[in-house]
Amino acid sequence: MPGQAVRHRPHHVRAACTTGERMTAIIIQLLIGGILLGGLYALIAFGLSLIYGVVRILNFAHGTLLAMAGIAASVMFAAWHLNPMLIGAILFPLAFGFGWLMYRYLLEPLKRRNPVQMTVGTVLVTVGLLLILSDLAALLAGPTSKNIPLEVSVFMVKGIIISTTDLAIFTGVVALTVALHLILTRTWFGRAVRAVTQDGVGARLCGVRAGTIHAATVGFGCAIVALAGVLYVLNFPVNPYDGFALTVKAFTIIILGGIGNLLGALLAGIFLGVAEALTGFFWTSQWAPGLSIILLLAILVVFPQGLLRRSGT
Amino acid sequence: MCRILYTIGAGVALAIGMAAPASAALNSCDGPIVLGTTMSLTGVNSTLAGKWDKMTEAFERDFNKTGGVYLKSCGKKLPIKFVYYDDQSIPATAVSLYEKMATVDKVDLFVGPDWSSHGFPVSQVFEKYKIPSVMSNVATPAVYQAGFNYIAGMALAAPTWSENYFEMLAHMNPKPKSIFWVVQDNLVTKAVRATNGKLADKAGLQTVGEEEFASSTKNFAGLILKMKAAQPDIVYISSFDAVSVPLLQQMRQLQVHAMDVHHIMASGSLAREVDLTGVTGEIYWYEGVGGPYSDLAREVLKDAGIRTFDYIWTMGRMDSYLVMIQAIERAGAIDRDKVRDELRKPGAMFKRPGGEFQFNAGGLSQIVAFTQQIQNGEPVVVWPNEQATGKIIWPSPSWH
Repeated sequence: MPGQAVRHRPHHVRAACTTGERMTAIIIQLLIGGILLGGLYALIAFGLSLIYGVVRILNFAHGTLLAMAGIAASVMFAAWHLNPMLIGAILFPLAFGFGWLMYRYLLEPLKRRNPVQMTVGTVLVTVGLLLILSDLAALLAGPTSKNIPLEVSVFMVKGIIISTTDLAIFTGVVALTVALHLILTRTWFGRAVRAVTQDGVGARLCGVRAGTIHAATVGFGCAIVALAGVLYVLNFPVNPYDGFALTVKAFTIIILGGIGNLLGALLAGIFLGVAEALTGFFWTSQWAPGLSIILLLAILVVFPQGLLRRSGT
Repeated sequence: MCRILYTIGAGVALAIGMAAPASAALNSCDGPIVLGTTMSLTGVNSTLAGKWDKMTEAFERDFNKTGGVYLKSCGKKLPIKFVYYDDQSIPATAVSLYEKMATVDKVDLFVGPDWSSHGFPVSQVFEKYKIPSVMSNVATPAVYQAGFNYIAGMALAAPTWSENYFEMLAHMNPKPKSIFWVVQDNLVTKAVRATNGKLADKAGLQTVGEEEFASSTKNFAGLILKMKAAQPDIVYISSFDAVSVPLLQQMRQLQVHAMDVHHIMASGSLAREVDLTGVTGEIYWYEGVGGPYSDLAREVLKDAGIRTFDYIWTMGRMDSYLVMIQAIERAGAIDRDKVRDELRKPGAMFKRPGGEFQFNAGGLSQIVAFTQQIQNGEPVVVWPNEQATGKIIWPSPSWH
């Protein structure tokens, strides 16, 4: 009843009595959040790294594709209550097809121009796509933020709170990372991608059609970011205009991790996520997003090629 | 040579003619009174301004049913007509659009724009062309202290934003003693924090922590852990609704406990994304309040399909229309300087659905919001007592 409340001490403080234990619990809590968010960042960056590493195109609309996928996922969840895994399975081929068409009809024609025109043209086309897709998503689904509001249970382990959503996202990130690695190393497609990257002429002589592989790589990169979008909206809302900030984050990660290096992107993503989490606690949350740029500059001074050298995809 | 000089002279005359204010239409009794405005129908602020184009069209339709604005100089009523554009949430675009409306569309008067980020640069257009405007939802006091003479603004003033809330806290039992501020890095939200600190001090609250966050922040673990360590009685969130969704979600997950969590923009769109049960906040106006123009407001909102809880700044926008209409009526003519004088007349009272109010010396409306608490997913006005639609549940359910 109002007026009769007894002050309730947070459970996690009772559970971790000493200052040392409390600080340990806090640091682990921060690491959990940081690794989770960092893993999501890495997943976003994988697609961009793959596309740039193979096709040499910087897709400024990359983050916007994630936002669109996330919005589509939340609309499908709200309308039909589909399992997010099923939603991911539906969006994967759609995003692949979109990426394929985007490359074939918008980006591939630019490759016939001289390098300067190609670079400028790519920037213009992908930035234009970013603007069009953002406003299209706002028109179709509304401009408000959307997410997939799963019922969340939390459980505590020695004062550390872990939610079921966090576990679901972490599982998804690990599974996708392993799957991506296996695809790139154990399948014909993966070998073809690496062949085209290392020696386009030699790959053609071996019967690999570079144009088809490029289109498939862009499609695959878009499909990965669509899956990342589904995982992203399990925890974080997204609106049609969030895309560019996520693209900048992805750029930072692929530069930190080494262009075309997926392991590097994973480490860089986790490093960034953890750094942001620790900054938010030990300094201030206001500087956490800017931290990525500061770290980028600092690390590039010491490791100009990124944290890991490029290993040919 | 003569032909060249003649052509240049004609071109210059044409340019001057196009740039000059349309004094032929002003002070005339023919045609509608044209009000120019921009709205953020696309871009990052479109989440706040959704459906305002429909609201504006509905307002024009519903208001003109009575014939329009009575002008003493004409001895009759003239209808109003809106000319509006989408500023895409970009201040520079808003500036160019207001310039266009002043020089090409030749509107009579202005209303809008919205948002402090637009208010500053666009106010300079009003001064340049000497066309008064009643802005909406431009809450930063600095805009009204910059010496602009052709503006007035309908907004919750930052210094009194939570005046009713802190007054309410003084009557609560158990009485809260401490407060933790969480502030979005934005002009308005920082102004609210800076000025409402005094109200918190007056209510006997000690500040035990303060954190600012950037709009793009997604991981609030560090901030929330600091908040939990401070064990505040009140968590005061000064933030726009959309960016604070992950903050509130993570506060729930990390089991923040407090007597109350207060969000200055707790809205329907926020309530759809996160469990707001027990959260208190401010509401500019709600359909249950009866005041001047309330019937018109309800009719317009119904025609536009807008619930004020979903788009909490809609009434700020509509109030700007109503105040401009009253200023034109008092001026008695479509005379920009007379309208400006009426808007800036010291002590002049204006009517809005929330009641009567006046502007301060700089032109900012002196309006205090109602305090609401979200109960069972719906907003319940809990303070002031005279206008409450329900009782506050204290300490806040689900946070305590």
